[in-house]
Amino acid sequence: MNDEGRFGQYGGSFIPEILYSSQQQLLKAYREAMADTSFVQLVKSEMQDFSGRPTPLTYCANLTKTIGGAQIYLKREDLNHSGAHKMNNVIGQGLLAKRMGKTRIIAETGAGQHGVASALVAARLGLECTVYMGAHDIERQYPNVFWMKQLGATVVPVTTGAATLKDALDEALRDWSSSYEDTHYLIGTSCGCAPYPEMVAGFQSVIGEEVKEQSIQQFVRYPDRIYACVGGGSNACGIFLPFVDTQTELVGVEAGGRSNAPGDHAMRFNTDQARFGIAQGFATRFLQDSEGQLQPTHSISAGLDYVGVSPILADLEEKGKVRMTSANDNEVIEAFKMLTRHEGIIPALESSHAVAGALREAAGMSAEEYIVINISGRGDKDIFNIAKALNDEPFTDFLHAYLKEETAQ
Amino acid sequence: MNKLTSYIQQQRQNKPLLMMTHVVYGYPNIEKSLEIMQLMLEKGVEILEVQFPFSDPVADGPTITTACHHALEHKPTLSQCLKDIKKLAQQYPDSRMLLMSYLNPLLQPGFESLAEQMGDDIVGVIIPDLPIDHHDMLTPLTDKGISPIWLITPDMHEDRIRLVTEQAQGMLYCVSRSGVTGQLAAGEDSARMQHMQRYLKTIRQSTPLPLAVGFGINSSEDIAALKGHADVAIVGSAFLNAFNNNGLEAVSHKLKELQA
Repeated sequence: MNDEGRFGQYGGSFIPEILYSSQQQLLKAYREAMADTSFVQLVKSEMQDFSGRPTPLTYCANLTKTIGGAQIYLKREDLNHSGAHKMNNVIGQGLLAKRMGKTRIIAETGAGQHGVASALVAARLGLECTVYMGAHDIERQYPNVFWMKQLGATVVPVTTGAATLKDALDEALRDWSSSYEDTHYLIGTSCGCAPYPEMVAGFQSVIGEEVKEQSIQQFVRYPDRIYACVGGGSNACGIFLPFVDTQTELVGVEAGGRSNAPGDHAMRFNTDQARFGIAQGFATRFLQDSEGQLQPTHSISAGLDYVGVSPILADLEEKGKVRMTSANDNEVIEAFKMLTRHEGIIPALESSHAVAGALREAAGMSAEEYIVINISGRGDKDIFNIAKALNDEPFTDFLHAYLKEETAQ
Repeated sequence: MNKLTSYIQQQRQNKPLLMMTHVVYGYPNIEKSLEIMQLMLEKGVEILEVQFPFSDPVADGPTITTACHHALEHKPTLSQCLKDIKKLAQQYPDSRMLLMSYLNPLLQPGFESLAEQMGDDIVGVIIPDLPIDHHDMLTPLTDKGISPIWLITPDMHEDRIRLVTEQAQGMLYCVSRSGVTGQLAAGEDSARMQHMQRYLKTIRQSTPLPLAVGFGINSSEDIAALKGHADVAIVGSAFLNAFNNNGLEAVSHKLKELQA
């Protein structure tokens, strides 16, 4: 990254002037903090003591045997406190906000994982917390909203636009425009203006650093391929960046959704519906129409339906250092079932994209090759959506019975 | 001299304060939005700012954001917008027309083509998500005499104000407070007004350019407080709110109130 936060032609800072001084303040504070070994140590110990790091690298003997190709390993970010990799970033930024003397954090959230993680860290650090969440996402992910509220956060439904993640991001930026004096905007993914992409990817890089050590310990070399799902791109950046320019091939898996039609997926690569654009504070590949209007997206997983993508990944893909592929909603459900049944691990639907992409390719690889799939989060939160996708009728009966009981009381 | 600057200076000779109003192209639909513009020009508004809608207008508050999203349902195109407002500019040569939009819709034709399409009829452009650091991107516009209108904000550092005034042309858009368009800060009172007058005085000392002031200007009291301190009052959301309440008639009423 250069001084302006550029990654090739992507990244940079394209924010309303009103945010300039708070952005500069954040840039300076971030650089100072990262140069301060006691801060870096504090982040590390908090990741251990609060979130349970390091997370394991788990060998999948059954799945490897069933697929009959490469040796399959999982990086278990689902075992973080809060059940997802989002924790790594909120610990880092939460401590930074505290160090900057801020008393309040605001966050945008799609699936709600980042919202919950922000609320957890705010409660622990004694910070006030407001979470912006698309009204449509609130409907899909109410259990996460429930937990945010229990943790003391204020959840603000965003009803403008498509009422999903990008709209929540717009609204959080608007809040920050009038609250920057006491408020830190805790962006959940490696997007937005500088220094957010670099900072979030930096805090998440602990994932890849651990994989480096663990792969050497477990199979005496680096993996041949690493798979990660790509929404905004924070878990992918986290596991990929330490491996850039090594022999390891890095594969991002986007949300293929229902079909390739506009609005039916969230692929920012390998489609002419996405191209270079500047919006939401930075330059990257955005799904947009001929007039430059950002387009609606769809994914079975609320966490992957962002309209843009990390400028770091856009640049790495352009330079051929990351390969992008996608998995559609059906493949994702199949991959979810495979991992659950064979290994006793329930992945989030987001992470199931990485599983789908990996299993598709693993069969064609040799038994001497090793792959690592980043399980960015656990699937408990997706119980409603998965039950629906699997047409589990007893689950619907249960919901009816539960509601009836509620009304009777 | 710059076209916009000389126009403002000439108008200011016998007017204490000019008015710049704002309309979202395509809201509530394209035809109606052109009628609103026509009404404003007919009533002698000096500068008209036409916003070409963008899906993610991060510097705008709820009123304008909602209007932009509604406008987009009519699938407006930038090229047709420019044609439509150029026609109005030619019809009302005593007023001046500015284009406002976010970077991404303007990047689609590119600034060379945009400059060509804007021609002599649209004298300036406001791009709220383009920081002064990237002023080079707008060279094709300045080469054609089209002024990029840069924003000055209340807590802007002296060095940065200098950076802006060095590049600025036409006029400066002084944001009266933090936040987004439309919303009123808590406790709007005389202390706030005095603070703003001091802020405008500081900027006045650093540039000969006309000063336009916007964000949250809503009443004749707001306008009165600006007289003697600014050259142009920018009114945006207030007209949209009026329109939403009672259509063109309410816009006309609001104009009368603010122009009094």
